[in-house]
Amino acid sequence: MPAIIEVESLSKSYGGKRGIIDLSFQVEEGEIFGFLGPNGAGKTTTIRLLMALLRADSGTARIAGMDVWEQSVEIKKLVGYLPAELSLDPSLTGGQILEYFGHLRGGVDQEYLKKLIARLDFDPTRKFRQYSSGNKRKIGIIQAFMHRPRLLVLDEPTNGLDPLNQQEFDRMIKEVRAEGRTVFLSSHILTEVEQSCSRVAIIREGQLVRVSGVAALKDIKRHELTITFAGAVPVEAFEALQGVESVESVDDGHTLRLDVSGGQDAIVKAAAQYSVVTMSSHEPSLEDIFLRFYEGDGNADREASHVVQ
Amino acid sequence: MWFSSIYLKTLRDFRIAIFGWGLGIGLLMLTVLSTVSALESTAAARASLISLASSFSWIAEPVAVNTPGGYATWKYGFTILVMALWPLLVGSRMLRAEEERGSMDALLSLPRGRWRVALEKLAAMWTALLVIALIIALLVFAGGAGVSADFGLGGALLFGLNLALICGVFGSIALLVSQFTQEAGPAAGVTGGLLLLFIVVDMIHRVVPGTEWLSRLSPVYYYNLSKPLVPGYGTDPVAMLVLLGLSALLSGTALWLFVKRDIARTVTLPRFLHMPERAVRPEYALPVNDWSLRSIYARSMAKLVVPTFWWTVAIGGFAAWMVFIVEQTAQKLQDLYNSAPLLKDTITKVGRGDANTNASILSFLYLILPVMLMAFAVTQAGRWAADEEDGLHELVLSTPQPRLRVLLSRFGAVATATVIIGVVTLVLTALAAAAGGLALDGGNLTAATLSIIPMGLLMAALGYLFSGWLRTAIDTGLLSFLLVIWFSITFIGPELNLPEGVLRLSAFYYYGTPLLHGLPLGDMLGVLAVSAMALVLASARFVRKDIGR
Repeated sequence: MPAIIEVESLSKSYGGKRGIIDLSFQVEEGEIFGFLGPNGAGKTTTIRLLMALLRADSGTARIAGMDVWEQSVEIKKLVGYLPAELSLDPSLTGGQILEYFGHLRGGVDQEYLKKLIARLDFDPTRKFRQYSSGNKRKIGIIQAFMHRPRLLVLDEPTNGLDPLNQQEFDRMIKEVRAEGRTVFLSSHILTEVEQSCSRVAIIREGQLVRVSGVAALKDIKRHELTITFAGAVPVEAFEALQGVESVESVDDGHTLRLDVSGGQDAIVKAAAQYSVVTMSSHEPSLEDIFLRFYEGDGNADREASHVVQ
Repeated sequence: MWFSSIYLKTLRDFRIAIFGWGLGIGLLMLTVLSTVSALESTAAARASLISLASSFSWIAEPVAVNTPGGYATWKYGFTILVMALWPLLVGSRMLRAEEERGSMDALLSLPRGRWRVALEKLAAMWTALLVIALIIALLVFAGGAGVSADFGLGGALLFGLNLALICGVFGSIALLVSQFTQEAGPAAGVTGGLLLLFIVVDMIHRVVPGTEWLSRLSPVYYYNLSKPLVPGYGTDPVAMLVLLGLSALLSGTALWLFVKRDIARTVTLPRFLHMPERAVRPEYALPVNDWSLRSIYARSMAKLVVPTFWWTVAIGGFAAWMVFIVEQTAQKLQDLYNSAPLLKDTITKVGRGDANTNASILSFLYLILPVMLMAFAVTQAGRWAADEEDGLHELVLSTPQPRLRVLLSRFGAVATATVIIGVVTLVLTALAAAAGGLALDGGNLTAATLSIIPMGLLMAALGYLFSGWLRTAIDTGLLSFLLVIWFSITFIGPELNLPEGVLRLSAFYYYGTPLLHGLPLGDMLGVLAVSAMALVLASARFVRKDIGR
């Protein structure tokens, strides 16, 4: 698949303040690409650079082979954009806003637009100022999707949506992928990314920490192992084992909770020295992995030097 | 300390307004008081002034206008009520703006009752009003002492207090109206309309005999019953108590409604007062087929309709009214010139013509027209900057619309509005001249009214240019400052014998005196060229800049 987004050594600062530093990644046509990071990491800066709302200090960004700054008007014919914070004229109704942006974009199929409105159960007759935050998000999603863009750039799209509408949004994303269109989606809701995205980039303090498939991210997983013994066991017997990051003793030493990276062979053999009642292994969610990158224990820095493209 | 209570935090928010309004109005009064002696240098001049004041009794009741306090009270009879604009805006935003922003939810999540929250904010407004009144009073006292006026510090303080009380009434009206509106803007608009209406209602009894009963319905009437700067007239404590009571009643009702109603909703009106609702079923809500949604220019025009209407009423109405009354007052004004050469000198120098003619007086007064249109342009340039700050450009610029088109569409709408205001002003002036039987040169009248358009465009273009770098508040402040400086250079400069080079720094210099001398084509083309250059630079900046929030 050819790359629809190509970012090469992109940097942006705000005066003396950090924005993003030397960012490089590619998004292939037809994939759902997740962009993860905590608040202030540089997700929105990256997206606003792609949308030519900001001008890069250095580096290049291209969408569909076109420079995002020099050919921004051509690019925007291909893109549907949902900003993280939606500001629209409060005196217009939802219907008026959609019609206005329909005119500015062109190429909006009214029947498709009505279907989107129905799918998200959106009432377009009320004024923007009267909408709840969830409904404001809905109108943002509808205006981004309504012209069937080749690329959707969505900045934290499900913020404020209720679970039912989140499910509907997930279905819409899957349909987009099925049609061969591309989604670039930023989020800090990791389950959303885990379910929807094929690849994920993690950004931290303006720098890319990792880019890989969601499955590959899970390969660096750290299991949580819980072993319950018939009697109390010494913590020291497990602390020094290979792959054990930490050990917690609970229930008067009858139960051990171990944080383990890599293989568990040594732990199983060590546990076999005692009378084991139960043993369970918990696979980390993307949330756990994400937290690990940001816990600031030095591991993240080690990972950052091994960015996987 | 300033963040230890809602009262102190609100008062802190008012700090610039307190000093701005206090010093502004205070210095205005001080200036008027210091010019009185020049107008009343001889007995004949005093007699002429009294005669002139009686012709302008619609402004204010002329009492002892031959004294500094009497003259200042009459001259700024209703003009000083411009200060009511501040409490009017504060009152309309006090609770409603917090609700619009959603910050009222956070405020009411604190362990404080609604009454307490609202009362602390109201108390902050009243404290600010009293401090403003104190600053004004001190400057009035200083101005009076400079000309040996026969009022003391007590009179000046009562003058300030009376002003604070009438301003408080309009703040309270705005607070009450805002309980019935979803946004602060309409509440401020309605109260502004009421301010204008009450000023006119108060005027009626001074123009039409036997209508005092009608004027009593206006709070401005009770304000005018006290004239603490006029020797022997003094203060009417009952009238001041009426104003205080009215404020308490209006504010109390507003707060009672606020405590009872839902946050972010309006007071529920009785069913018979409900507007008929247009029930639109969602499935039929699209397409809207509204002309104003077809382009950025059309949308910008739609947003400008209401402000353009009101500014047209103000500018066109002022121009037409001046034409209508100039002949009636000309003779009395000429009597005043004969005995007060300073006034004649000022009008001659600023108006650049023979002050004895109607056209010269009108020409002098018409210098206000470009000032007013430029003030309109300042508000619209501020709107452009605010839209970027509020993030309203973000989604528009995510559509395939070039940045240059976005800027030019918005500017084009402002330009259209200024042209409309200029043309309507011309039509209204011509009609007023015909109705008043005043013979004015058609070409010069056209030049005087239409050449305000380039002045408005200049200010708008400069505002768009500055907004490329500055935030809304600084952009608007800088434009306002420029307007005041230019105004001062043109209106005071000739009297101070400022060199020609300094006078040329003011944009009003290039407006000239078209009513007397026709269109200064070269100067107007120069203003247009500077406007175009500013717009080109503003465009060059906008297409390259980071779009901020």
